[in-house]
Amino acid sequence: MLIRRSKLTRREFLKWSSGLMAGVLASRVFRRPLAKSGEIALAASPSAPSAVPDIHLAATDGWIYLPGQVPIPGTSGQYYNPDPWAPDGLTTYMFGFRNVTGMTTQQMFSQKMHSQASAPLWWVNELQDYRLRLSNLGLQMRPDLIDEHTVHWHGFRNAWPVFDGEPHSSLAVPIGRSLDLFYKPRDPGSYMYHCHFEETEHVHMGMTGMVFVRPAQDGNPYTHNGRTFTKFAYNDGDGSTGYDREFTITLTDVWAEAHWDDAHVQLPDWTSFRADYNLMNGRVYPDTLAPNGNSETNPWAYDANGYLIPPPGRPELQWQPLSSLIEGESGERILIRLVNLSFFTHTMSTPGLKMRVVGKDATFLRSATADFTFETSHYIFGTGETADIIIQLPTVSTTTKYLLHNRDLRRLKNPGINGLGGHMTEIRVHPTGTLAPQTIPNTNPRP
Amino acid sequence: MRLTNHLNQLRRVLVLGIALVMMFIPMGGALTAPDDHAGPAPSVGLVCETDPNATFTLSALPGYISMADGNTIFMWSYGVGRDDFQFPGPVLCVNEGQTVTIVLHNDLPVPTSMVFPGQVGVMANGVPSAAQFDGSGKLTSLAQTVAPGGSITYSFVASRPGTFLYQSGTNPGIQVQMGLHGALVVRPALGANFAYNDPETEFDPEDEYLMMLGEIDPLLHQAIERGETFDMRNYKARYFLINGRTFPDTLAPNYASWLPTQPYGSLAHIYPYDPVTNPLPALSRYIGVGTEIYPFHPHAFNSDIIGRDGFPVKGPGGENLWEEKFSIPIGPVQTTDALWSWRDTENWSDTNPVPIDIPSDQNLTFGLFWGGTPYLGNTDTLPTGTTTFNQCGEFYHIAHNHALQQITGWGVVLIGQVTFTRIDPPLPNNCP
Repeated sequence: MLIRRSKLTRREFLKWSSGLMAGVLASRVFRRPLAKSGEIALAASPSAPSAVPDIHLAATDGWIYLPGQVPIPGTSGQYYNPDPWAPDGLTTYMFGFRNVTGMTTQQMFSQKMHSQASAPLWWVNELQDYRLRLSNLGLQMRPDLIDEHTVHWHGFRNAWPVFDGEPHSSLAVPIGRSLDLFYKPRDPGSYMYHCHFEETEHVHMGMTGMVFVRPAQDGNPYTHNGRTFTKFAYNDGDGSTGYDREFTITLTDVWAEAHWDDAHVQLPDWTSFRADYNLMNGRVYPDTLAPNGNSETNPWAYDANGYLIPPPGRPELQWQPLSSLIEGESGERILIRLVNLSFFTHTMSTPGLKMRVVGKDATFLRSATADFTFETSHYIFGTGETADIIIQLPTVSTTTKYLLHNRDLRRLKNPGINGLGGHMTEIRVHPTGTLAPQTIPNTNPRP
Repeated sequence: MRLTNHLNQLRRVLVLGIALVMMFIPMGGALTAPDDHAGPAPSVGLVCETDPNATFTLSALPGYISMADGNTIFMWSYGVGRDDFQFPGPVLCVNEGQTVTIVLHNDLPVPTSMVFPGQVGVMANGVPSAAQFDGSGKLTSLAQTVAPGGSITYSFVASRPGTFLYQSGTNPGIQVQMGLHGALVVRPALGANFAYNDPETEFDPEDEYLMMLGEIDPLLHQAIERGETFDMRNYKARYFLINGRTFPDTLAPNYASWLPTQPYGSLAHIYPYDPVTNPLPALSRYIGVGTEIYPFHPHAFNSDIIGRDGFPVKGPGGENLWEEKFSIPIGPVQTTDALWSWRDTENWSDTNPVPIDIPSDQNLTFGLFWGGTPYLGNTDTLPTGTTTFNQCGEFYHIAHNHALQQITGWGVVLIGQVTFTRIDPPLPNNCP
């Protein structure tokens, strides 16, 4: 996008691109005396008066696994996906974020070329002072690119440019540097976040995830239809947005040619965009059903290297940690937070189950004078929109499966593979006593 | 990716600079509309073509417009009078209840017509406007046509307030995409500073914006210019426009001299909400004139969706059912009226600083609109060689289509449906 002066010489810059050298160089560069308000330390102990960040995200590149094949037209046996340059077991070049909160500096730098899809899930309480630190680790596969990164909290009302992450009106983070962002969200609901630097490329390459705001009402008991809830989508005052379990579903897509182009130092014409893959939380069906990476109690667990822990038996999903499997018990209410960060409008469907749409774009669909929450079986929403959907699960005596899927049937396919794929997951309703209470979104803990 | 065309970067920087400087040329100076009956035009905001009797003479004309990548596109559009080609067609503003009369001259090489989606009782040369069929029953036009060189008169009563559009009704797949469309604003009886006959729809008349979202397939236009046929099965939009311009031309003032056929900018320019000095919201009138739903996302504020297709969003008891949206889907031929404002909820200033440390300059890069500090109304020195167009510590927020392939244009990034909102510090301020 914008050609800006590099703060480093080209020679230094090329050295920077080496993952082995990065940590060493970083410690040298960051120790330079600084003129203004003091250095932003990359280590976990920032200098006063900055508070310790509530979350520390690192931006870098990486590889993920997408099944099937997208041939390069006009060739024989050559594929955009799987990319022949991908590491063993992986297929698709990505940009993305990692949650490096609490990591040592060495662990954090080791995450270069280990981004995840979709981006780490985080949430904030209404009116909480929240600090996010963003560090730019650089792009291992593209030493010619000196792209900055930002975090744009999409939908944050009355945002100040300094914390909006749109690089024309604000600040951006060069490679090897960090910036803190501050949020005090006043409006509960579902949002999204993404890098806004060279946004068409960085968003499509995978720097996309969900953030949501819990309402102040949480923790207070309200009884609705005979059941008492302490967790709510909004400050409803009557428990009508109460839920037992919550799940986030972020829709994105992958145009295999564009991802291959980025790995192979080529440029696509973005107006030729097409979706070869349709991803839910960074995976395509049936991988959407695989469990979370890491664990059900700590979705951000990492090993001694700072690497994510793959789901059991699925090493190729190491960098796609977030499951979309929705499980609940007989008669429970579940909240689904839908985010569309693909490049198309989608219609999500839950055959056999009614959806009650209680919020759109982080706004409760009820005003002082009118309740316009509504029930539907298909919810259509465009890019950059969110929806909060409550589903009343039926009463069951044996486990019963339902689907949440895109009604645009073109989106239910993985290229080169017979059978279903893409934007689909299952809603499994179990008899009472099967599951333990849920404390973390997108987890399905057992007693 | 940084491998983009340096010339394009240069153009972008130049246009941004000129645009921001031109915004502050006093009204009534150089920035007058080319049509003497239009009077001085505001540098930003909706520009109305008005007439006391709601009678307008338009011509369907060929002409050319410029894309921000340097390309020139052959268009068909509507001009005011007989020879002022402009794209899109003029914004016709009338009052509720008026009889609107439009005399259309056809200076195209093909028959054409006009239709007025959302209007009823439209007359064409004194008879009801109606779909036309040939002797075999085949549909030939959605309305009575006017032959090349001829003229036709349409009239209708503007029976309800709202945002509407007019467009070609003949071979519309080609003709509308070629540019034959424009906006129609009907002011309510309650007053011109209301969107509808509802006191809650009052807006600040200085903050009324047109957001006409469209697209261009350059190969369609090339084929028509060459007199060739175009198979709509091959249609593929490559450029995405706001009010007929691509970014950064969208930021240039209305009637910018270097965009002689693209008179309408889309930069919004507001002050923060204040219950005393600035209590009224801005009104954006969105119109989709392309082939897809554009999900439009203005940063930093939600929009109250108060009307669609000229219908106020109300329940059966007259209660407002306004959704508050941060991404607004704008469908083809759909109009959406949105009220919005920006509030300074944090009151940060250099004496009430943001609760983080801003890293030193060499640890950051700065946007073209960054003023040097986080604070509204403050500026600070930027490192030598840093370009900034910030004038007085004003804020900027981008507003863009979030189908991000549509903020690019035919292989060049960031020349699509993108504009900005400029928020000036409250008055009195140091802004020029």
